[in-house]
Amino acid sequence: MSDLSVKGEQIEENQNNILEVIQVENLKKRYKRIIALDGVSFSVKKGEVFGLLGPNGAGKTTTINILCTLSQPNSGVAYVNGYNVIHQSNAVRNSIGLVFQETILDNHLTAEENLYLHAMLYGVSRKEYLQRKRELLKFCELWDKRKVRVETFSGGMKRRLELIRALIHWPQILFLDEPTIGLDPQTRRKIWDYIFTLRKKKNITIFLTTQYLSEAENCDRIAILNQGIIVALDSPENLKKVIGEDIIFLKTDDNQVAEREFQAKFPNYSIKWIGKELRVKVDNGDKFLPILVKAITPRIISIELRRPTLEDVFLEITGRKIRDNN
Amino acid sequence: MNKKLKTLYIIWYREVLIYLRNSVKFFTSIFLPILILVFFGAGLKTMFPVSILNCDFVQFFFPGILGLSISIMAISSTMSIVWDREFGFLKEILVSPISRSSIILGKILGATTTALIQGALILLIIPYLGIDFSKFLFIKAMLIIFLISYGVAALGILLVSRLKKMESFSIISQLIFAPMAFLSGAFFPLNNAPAWMAKMAFYNPLNYGIDALRWVILSESLLKEEISLITSHSLFLCVVVLLGFNLLITFLSTRVFNKSIY
Repeated sequence: MSDLSVKGEQIEENQNNILEVIQVENLKKRYKRIIALDGVSFSVKKGEVFGLLGPNGAGKTTTINILCTLSQPNSGVAYVNGYNVIHQSNAVRNSIGLVFQETILDNHLTAEENLYLHAMLYGVSRKEYLQRKRELLKFCELWDKRKVRVETFSGGMKRRLELIRALIHWPQILFLDEPTIGLDPQTRRKIWDYIFTLRKKKNITIFLTTQYLSEAENCDRIAILNQGIIVALDSPENLKKVIGEDIIFLKTDDNQVAEREFQAKFPNYSIKWIGKELRVKVDNGDKFLPILVKAITPRIISIELRRPTLEDVFLEITGRKIRDNN
Repeated sequence: MNKKLKTLYIIWYREVLIYLRNSVKFFTSIFLPILILVFFGAGLKTMFPVSILNCDFVQFFFPGILGLSISIMAISSTMSIVWDREFGFLKEILVSPISRSSIILGKILGATTTALIQGALILLIIPYLGIDFSKFLFIKAMLIIFLISYGVAALGILLVSRLKKMESFSIISQLIFAPMAFLSGAFFPLNNAPAWMAKMAFYNPLNYGIDALRWVILSESLLKEEISLITSHSLFLCVVVLLGFNLLITFLSTRVFNKSIY
């Protein structure tokens, strides 16, 4: 493995010109009988924020593990920063920073010691380490806590420290595996503020997975993963266009009659059952709403007009909600 | 090579830092062996009069307790690898651009260092036990402690490198380490033991470690002939066996750990 990484260093000069920092082709991974990834292909451009969405068990963490060289695919190829994840794993490891799903810090040690150990593992020089430590700790408002043991930190503080740790070796690509899971909404927003500001400042590529669709709206592009297959890949705006301009949720005394009447009067629009409600996709919702109310005879119990969210996109494509408790 | 040494250093540094931070573990690691020496020593002394043992019981007992204490220290320090895996920290290490063999050596040497710190502190009570002490004896004893704890730590790594749960560690250590401790000659002299027991002890590396400690620690208090009565092997053989065992087990644990992912 080591002699291959030497080859990797020789082509380092070309690395800066790469436009697609992650390339994945037909990735397959099986765990005994469970198929985790069933032919996944995508690519991520330099400087992009790329989001991988999917319910639990869709294969998000498997994908990240393969890209981070923690796990090997059964077939298919993946390149990170121009390096093959299987044959040039050390070069890949040098190019990436990781924030794992679970919190991974040495609790007995101080914030500073945690950063120091990481910087040493990545061969960061002492001068660079001191300078970056100062900049990042100050930026993430942990400078005053640098000599405090991590065990006393709150969840949000730990996450910020992990973010700093992942960045202390200036990676080309930052992997974030559900970075805000288990945090309260306020802390979540703050974490994202840090991530996006840092990204602009340092021009790093960000690859993230999340279950919070509101957070995914901030991505440049999103891939939706379901049962080991990518079912959609586009910008959040384009994905939402699939659904249409506006959607109306309608609940009446007799939904079946309402559905039949709707289909007869407005054959151009589609109507669909979502649970106990009817969902209508329309172009110009605010003008259509009064027409709809007049056109339907069963008594209306509730009616709601809104712009489609990614949650609706997800529901449309996969047929289930992203965080289904059942 | 330089980079490998640096990683080795940082893995080692982390182990030692965590050991020193954990003041409870630090304290008990010194306190317990002394407790055993004082109470067990005083109690058992009445059962081994000088006529049977040729020497004072504490002289016989001390090297054994020292050897076992540092072995327990070394093997329980390697438990940190299971801990790291359970809490995910091993992932953080495995995803960094460093070689697997430096992780292993760093871990082994880290565990060895915790045992050396403990051993050094226990050695300091030698003058109070009626055993003659010198700087040279201290250095020689530290070398033997290094050889023993290195081997036990490497064995520990070999055993735990595939374990996923903390509970499995206590099972493994009881199943493998307890027989090693009982057959080490620390509690009773093995040269008078039944043949089957002596035969089993012959294959126990810890037996050679305890014997080596006895040769070195008692070198200024007893004559060679007297020491040979309470040991099974010569010092030279002990050191050779320890060195051979350490080399073999390092090789094996590196191979096994390289194959385990995380």
